[in-house]
Amino acid sequence: MTVFDNLASTLLGSLPSISVLVLATLAVTLIFKTSYTTNFAQGVISAVGSYLVMELMLFYRVPMYIGILAGITAGILIGLFIDIVIFRNGRYVNAIGKQIITMGMVSLLVGVIPFVFKTAGLEAVYLMPMVALNKYVVLSKNIAIQINSLVYFGISAVIVTVVFLLLNLSKWGLGVRSTASNEQVAGMLGINTYVITAASWAIAGALGAVSATMYAGFNMMSNSLFMTTIQVNAFLACILGGFATFYGPVLGAVIIPLISALIGFTAIYIPTLSTWREVLVYVVLLLLILWKPQGLFGPRAVRKV
Amino acid sequence: MTSTQFKSRLLCDKTPLEKETESIDSIKRALKNPLSQYIIFGIILIALQALSSLGDELRITIIKVSFMSALGSTLIYSMVSIGFCLLLGYSGLASLGTAGFIGIGAYCAFFCLQEWNVPYIVAILFALAVSIVIGVLVGFISLRIEGIYLAIITLGLAEILRYALQAIRATININLKNIVLFGTKIDKTTVYYLIVIVLLILMWITSNMINSPTGRAMLAMKNSTSAAQAYGISLMKYRLLAFVLSTCYAALAGVMYMMYLRSVSTSMSTLFKLATSLNILGAVIIGGAKSIWGVLAGTFIMYGLSPMFLSDVKFLTENPTFITLFTGFLIILVVMFYPGGLAQLVQLGKIKISAFIKKAKEKKYGKSI
Repeated sequence: MTVFDNLASTLLGSLPSISVLVLATLAVTLIFKTSYTTNFAQGVISAVGSYLVMELMLFYRVPMYIGILAGITAGILIGLFIDIVIFRNGRYVNAIGKQIITMGMVSLLVGVIPFVFKTAGLEAVYLMPMVALNKYVVLSKNIAIQINSLVYFGISAVIVTVVFLLLNLSKWGLGVRSTASNEQVAGMLGINTYVITAASWAIAGALGAVSATMYAGFNMMSNSLFMTTIQVNAFLACILGGFATFYGPVLGAVIIPLISALIGFTAIYIPTLSTWREVLVYVVLLLLILWKPQGLFGPRAVRKV
Repeated sequence: MTSTQFKSRLLCDKTPLEKETESIDSIKRALKNPLSQYIIFGIILIALQALSSLGDELRITIIKVSFMSALGSTLIYSMVSIGFCLLLGYSGLASLGTAGFIGIGAYCAFFCLQEWNVPYIVAILFALAVSIVIGVLVGFISLRIEGIYLAIITLGLAEILRYALQAIRATININLKNIVLFGTKIDKTTVYYLIVIVLLILMWITSNMINSPTGRAMLAMKNSTSAAQAYGISLMKYRLLAFVLSTCYAALAGVMYMMYLRSVSTSMSTLFKLATSLNILGAVIIGGAKSIWGVLAGTFIMYGLSPMFLSDVKFLTENPTFITLFTGFLIILVVMFYPGGLAQLVQLGKIKISAFIKKAKEKKYGKSI
């Protein structure tokens, strides 16, 4: 295999991670923009969705697409619950309080999942991938790509495009953008920020459910916290791209798996690197963020007193 | 009045009743002093272990071994929480790197005690030295990145630490054979005493720090960085100090954890993962981020309650996640309605009780003018 073959196959291998991470990051960004908080429960909400899909498929023999629809519904409902029932009724909820509430939500849902889902008791289950993992498209003599990862990438590209079109063209998108720049003023100008925020939570829940279902297709659902790594990466992607724009975090979510793939590629020639792969990825990210604290695509911040 | 009675009245001009109330007052005053409170707390903790050991020797169970073991680990987590309370409650810096800092301590202990065979005091000093370096590093990062961003960056840092530790050694075990502690060979009981002593020292240092100019500077920094700077408070100095202290506390807890429980499988256990950082944060929030006793109570609810008291409840042993569900529910409730945590609840309770007593007295004796 030539150097180019190795490089191409490692980069193509990161397609599934990119597809999953982009969706998770978009969800985190939407919530950050409208509720001014980082949603630590994103991973667990997504996990609930994928467990529901698994449960329906294993025990009720439901076809996959209906299962996914049910998972998305669950994600939407949990998102709405957090925003409408918890955030709005809290008497002293501020930005950090919201963050801590989402952390409490993590504990709550981690506790709830084993009560509700029988599959959570099974250890190390894979959700069936959408296309069997052994089907490939052969690109050249040494490079082949799983059809499954192409499907994932397609789904995620379609969803991201739809969300961006909604953000830029629809009334909801206008509302989100104005709520993001200033919630109070948006409210005074007649935008129902409650509906906007609730819709963002619902969409974030749905995105999470799709991302977790895809992730469970090539990774184990070892326990209710199996999405934690994706969630941590999504946060870092948001900061890497900068919260100021919507496209920044999404580009960040593409960059992180690519960095990881590049380090994996170097590890083919320097084998000791492979044990330190994750460490190196995060060190590179940390250095990038320290170099540009406002994100690679964000504007310079002006501090006012 | 006879002459002797008159003399005694002149000499000490206090009735026996007055004397009694005065001595009660002085006891009350002594109890309000934090140091004596901590010493009493320590004596109770040590007495529990002594009772348990006595039971072992007499071959009866006075206090269960599992109870003591859970208490020991709760005390270890309390050290981490107190350090975190300094960071979140006083300096207003939200960090999620706690798990990584505990990991540093645990690995330092492992290498010092198991691989290099040095005395435990050297292990503690080594862990402190390493954690000071890491704390300064994070402190400098916190000067550049603030708020929610800082939480995520420290979370990334904790991931770096976890993966690095895992790459160094996947499972660490300590076999404590040649270590001498308090003049006897080390075992779980002596380590427990060490934990109590270290915890008390940390509590004392923290309570002094909180009530000193340093603590006030930290509070000022929490409320407004610009105003604090205008009053001549160096952000760099106090942020570095806060991070160094909390890292040191967490690393000490890591050392104690390794000495007490002796084995961690880094890839499997949740000790070095995000869950621990979130639990510590939850403990501090539930307890009330500004009160040491509140933080201890919060840690007890998060870590001690179920293994210490509820281990025999059948429903809970069958559904081990129920307690996680409950703590999550509690965190949400506290943040929604009582942002000051348990400490605030106790304070409210005190005010209500004293108002009730006052009302009852007024009913009985009539209003005082």
